[in-house]
Amino acid sequence: MIIRKVWHRVLLAAAVIVVLGGGFALAVLAGAFERSVVSAAVDTPLTPEEIAELAPRGRYIATAADCVACHTAVGGAPWAGGRPFEMPMGTLYATNISPDPTYGIGAWTRADFHRALRDGVAKGGRHLYPAMPYVSYRQMSEADVDAVWAYMLTREPMAVPDRQDSLPFPYVRQFMTFWNLLNLPGDVPAPAAQKSAEWNRGRYLVDALGHCGECHTPRDITMGMVSSRYLQGAVIEGVDAPDITPEGLARLGFAPERLAHFMRSGMGPEGVMGFAMYDVVHHSTQYLTDEDAAAMAAYLAGEPAPAVPVVAAAPIAPDTAENGRRLYVAVCAGCHGIEGEGTPTMTPAMTTNAELRLPRPTNLLAVLADGIPWRDFPHGNRLQDMPGFTDLLSDAEIADLSNYLRATWGGRAPDVAAADVATLRRARD
Amino acid sequence: MTIATRPLSLVVNGRQVGPLDVPENLMMVDFLHEYLNLTGSRLACGQGVCWACTVMLLDTDGAPPREIRTCITGAHFFQGRHVRTVEGHAERDADGAVVALSPVQQAFIEHFSFQCGYCTPGFVTGATVLIEQLKRQPVARADVETTIEAALSPHVCRCTGYVRYYEAVRSVILDTPGLVVG
Repeated sequence: MIIRKVWHRVLLAAAVIVVLGGGFALAVLAGAFERSVVSAAVDTPLTPEEIAELAPRGRYIATAADCVACHTAVGGAPWAGGRPFEMPMGTLYATNISPDPTYGIGAWTRADFHRALRDGVAKGGRHLYPAMPYVSYRQMSEADVDAVWAYMLTREPMAVPDRQDSLPFPYVRQFMTFWNLLNLPGDVPAPAAQKSAEWNRGRYLVDALGHCGECHTPRDITMGMVSSRYLQGAVIEGVDAPDITPEGLARLGFAPERLAHFMRSGMGPEGVMGFAMYDVVHHSTQYLTDEDAAAMAAYLAGEPAPAVPVVAAAPIAPDTAENGRRLYVAVCAGCHGIEGEGTPTMTPAMTTNAELRLPRPTNLLAVLADGIPWRDFPHGNRLQDMPGFTDLLSDAEIADLSNYLRATWGGRAPDVAAADVATLRRARD
Repeated sequence: MTIATRPLSLVVNGRQVGPLDVPENLMMVDFLHEYLNLTGSRLACGQGVCWACTVMLLDTDGAPPREIRTCITGAHFFQGRHVRTVEGHAERDADGAVVALSPVQQAFIEHFSFQCGYCTPGFVTGATVLIEQLKRQPVARADVETTIEAALSPHVCRCTGYVRYYEAVRSVILDTPGLVVG
């Protein structure tokens, strides 16, 4: 009898848990726990005069937020979307945000736009995927979202239909409510009173507009940004998005004023902005005002900024150094200089190159394997291409060369093995 | 201050060279000019963008030759390797006198594919490398022109323009049996 009674209780408890859990899940799914940060003030549409007045500033805000990088495909119509995002579960495409009433956001309200940018919910309650960085844009001010809204409304409408994503289950969208519960902060941080106005402006540029953390903060198993490892670096498209905390930046050689210059020019003694950051400079950071570039750098470099350490060469085995040096002179020094000094306006120096100072050799090996295409840089600069070397050098030679470069000028332990190069070569083939 | 040197041996145009005591930091184009008096490979930009200085790197294992820019490649990179410069394309007799031009050289003359001629050695070398590749891997007739354009596009010419170069190379490709399919 007692055993039966206990069983009844266990079953009852289990039933209660299932019902409560199921109810909770349904409530999450229905959006009961979602918190909008959009105020009722934006329920009133902007007047034509307000739109005309706000649009020029909106252009600058949209540039600082790098909207165009995703919402204009390479060779595509302006603001008509189409840039693909390869995800493990399928391909997403950026959407048409031109003011076309059928294919773009021409039929949206001001409030719809605010909710899409800051809550991740599009017109009609459709949840966005976080490839759209609404977790970051959530921190945008209403005034800035209004300005971007005005800017978008004054663009040419583009009658270009959105591309259908290839995710297997379209109803996954509604499950973003669970993701948001875990990964979308309920509120936006208040300005830090103990920090300077410049630092606070920099934080806004970095976190809200520039959405730097979307790539530089590692993600957890749910693909949410890990706040405890804010800006400490992550792997993006097979290469390292570096640690851009104050300590990380100092180790790479960036004092605040150097960083501000690098963000705008994409090149300097620290090397050349590469991988996905080339596009960021190209579309966004080169257009920052002097004050905003300085603020971004002041925030990232820290207030007060740690001293930039002098990088001393790391110990390296004599035969590795000798072979690495020979290879450097054979295939690198013609452009990068016999002593790694580089050639002005042509090839970056090795002596102060941030890429050689990264903790891991991943990015260096990727460049040695694939080279870099010739490209335009801000202020009329253009850099010639760098060849890849996999067909000219063996894996062991690339390992020796990498170790020589990293130890000599990066102060990093020469720990690249030929097997690492082989692994990378296979991964990139 | 003495310049650090290292012995260098290689095969240039079929002839064994060295060992010579060569500065460790010398670029190949300077070695060809100053040590071997082979001045056909032209130094122009000095930064690897114009391809006037290229030579053929010949692999002994039968792989197709590769085109290498000598202004940005150290002389010692070629230690133990085989290279062919523009001086090595023509057939020569025992005294070194030219007996017959190579098909590419002959086509360049017939099409008058040069004006000042400074970049021509690079174009001839690039075209020769392309012909060698096509011998191993022929191209569809419809793709001949795009193949030439892709192969020679890194080469820069500042006076004649490219049409005559491309016409010369196209005639060699079409007139040589086995380079084109279809």
